[in-house]
Amino acid sequence: MSLAPTPNLAAPPHVPRRRLRVRGTSITLLKEVRERAQADLGFDVEYELLDFITCQRQAAMQPEGYDIYEQCFHNLDIVWFWGALQPIDTDRIADWDKITDLSKEGGISKYAWRGHGDAPVRKLYVQPGGFLGPKQGRYISMLPTVHNMDSFGFDTRVFGNGEVKRPSWAWLLDRRAKGRIALVDEPAIGFFDAALAAEAGGELQFTDIGNMTIAEIDGLMALLEDRRRQGYFCASWRTGEEAAELLLQDRVSAQSMWSPVYGHLGKMAEVFVESAPVEGYRAWHGGASLSRHLAGAQLDMGYDYLNWWLDGYAGAVMARQGYYMSAPERTKAALAPEEWAYWYEGAPAGRDLLGPSGAVVVKTGAKRAGGTYNDRANRIALWNTVMEEYNYAARAWDRFIRRVNEGQK
Amino acid sequence: MTARPNTSLAQEPRYELITQVLRANIASGLLPAGLVLLEGPIAALMQTSRIPVQVALRTLAAEGLVHRFDGRGYLVGPPQQDIAPLRRDIGAFELSIPQQVDDALQTRGTWKHFYDEVEEQVALCQVFGEFRIVETELSDYLGVSRTVVRDVLSRLQERGLIRKNASSHWIAGPLTARTLREKFELRAIVEPAALRLAAPHIHYSQIEAFRDRIGVDPTLKPEGLEAALMTYCIAKASNTALVEIIQTNQMLLTSVNRALTGLGLPEDEIALDQYRTLFDLIARHPIDSAAEYLRDHLHIMASKNLARMKIVAVISEAVGFAPYLVLQ
Repeated sequence: MSLAPTPNLAAPPHVPRRRLRVRGTSITLLKEVRERAQADLGFDVEYELLDFITCQRQAAMQPEGYDIYEQCFHNLDIVWFWGALQPIDTDRIADWDKITDLSKEGGISKYAWRGHGDAPVRKLYVQPGGFLGPKQGRYISMLPTVHNMDSFGFDTRVFGNGEVKRPSWAWLLDRRAKGRIALVDEPAIGFFDAALAAEAGGELQFTDIGNMTIAEIDGLMALLEDRRRQGYFCASWRTGEEAAELLLQDRVSAQSMWSPVYGHLGKMAEVFVESAPVEGYRAWHGGASLSRHLAGAQLDMGYDYLNWWLDGYAGAVMARQGYYMSAPERTKAALAPEEWAYWYEGAPAGRDLLGPSGAVVVKTGAKRAGGTYNDRANRIALWNTVMEEYNYAARAWDRFIRRVNEGQK
Repeated sequence: MTARPNTSLAQEPRYELITQVLRANIASGLLPAGLVLLEGPIAALMQTSRIPVQVALRTLAAEGLVHRFDGRGYLVGPPQQDIAPLRRDIGAFELSIPQQVDDALQTRGTWKHFYDEVEEQVALCQVFGEFRIVETELSDYLGVSRTVVRDVLSRLQERGLIRKNASSHWIAGPLTARTLREKFELRAIVEPAALRLAAPHIHYSQIEAFRDRIGVDPTLKPEGLEAALMTYCIAKASNTALVEIIQTNQMLLTSVNRALTGLGLPEDEIALDQYRTLFDLIARHPIDSAAEYLRDHLHIMASKNLARMKIVAVISEAVGFAPYLVLQ
């Protein structure tokens, strides 16, 4: 080592890279999206991936911990009213006019049935007094992006292939699947899967399934508890990975399902399939919101990111896991024609189709359950909803799920 | 006639008063080193619950005036002194309690000493479900007789916070959106009517003065404005039965609101503007437009309260409940 004095060289200027922190769920927080966003936008995009319930709680109570919140419209009832978000100025969203009527009006056409519960439009526009509502205005609570119409999945060995006897939500509480039923643990999602099953099976009737009374909630929870005691449920799950694991272990014959899970079933894909229930779908709509603390250059980055989301690439990645985009034009341009035909138009797959990570998720010749986008969007029975009595329902649901997981007698 | 107690002391928290008394009596040597201090007897002597005594003892321990030992309670004196515990009834020491402190501790009827604490706990638990209140546990918890406990419970019943079920158990909650909706519906019917009846009896200069403080005086919160509306306007209605209905109907709302804010739920900032408009309309009379505005204001408040009732769902039951409350 030389003892000669080293000349005092100026250190290279340290310019911290700009970064945008996104808090969200597995719906949209995909590696492929993040990497492309970083490359396109020229700043770092950091992801914090959480399960639905944890994500909602932390977004509500710690808004300084993120810049962008990517979640579903129904939980704006929680996060917006905690004061965690700021209104989005649609004048700063270049493709606002390319967003379709399902998101902006509540249905794909004037005549389409809106579904029970809260269509996303009912939480979209910022109203006087800080409320959210469907009356159109310049400011919105969340930029509508990805959405889907969910159903349950079923075992064809138990229920047949669904062609002779069409699938009904009632199968989710069916005696034939006793001991092999699992529900998603989210009180604005799994709760409604169970409610649809109870009503479809003729066990209960709700005056308004999207806004149940205390007596109706008690009735549903009593029914579920009775079935639990009889041993109907084998598990609950919070992430797609958990749902897939239950299937790979061949533990379920009917369960709540999310679209991406179908691409990861291996050989089980031959016997476990997506339903297109006669009663219609339980739909949800996701989006991205701005944290209330964003301002100045950081806020500009937030808008850049929101605009980027509508630009096509993200929509294409979402399509490959079975989710639709609010601005489909640009998504179409970013997808191969066979991909668009399968995912949006309900056509048989012209070739093997790859999922977001590059693995084959759809085999040549397969057809999407429920048909075209319009067919599916016209058959929305219910939207994921945070009902008026949500606090009561969520706590009752939570106690039920704990008993399911602990396997109490 | 007894002189009014020194108000500044009466507003001091009870644990602070108890700390002062114990500290002074240890310093003067009246309480000897090694004396075992137990919560129960001190609470009985001070006519208070155990909770403020616990806090007082912890404070004195932090100051090094008392210390924990290998037994129940605390020993007088700094730690690391090898003193044998001296077990004697604290009542026998004839503590010196300054008159003012004594007055402050006695200001309210016995049940009133505990009421606020219990009301807050009972209001809070309803958000989480239906709870049974176990009388014996409450009596142990407060360190008081069943008679006092019954006084507290009947007051809670009057305020609509608890009820008796078919098997004569005291039940609290669950607080539901429906309860809130119904209470606000009732408010929107009766309060504008009361305001009309009150119009001839309102001191308008008082209302103007109040209006001018809104937005200027930072201590003025929506809760205080609601109270002012009640005291200076609605309660002036010439129909006392109507005023009583209104007051009773509001009690559960007020205590739950306070409990929710205590949990960290955000407070409503927009409400201030509405109160300013409302007080302004009342001050200007005729009263009809103020009554109409009040009705609209109550509809908005109902929506806000319903929205608040949803967001509380993210608060976990791990916040904990007092031991006398048992989830049904």
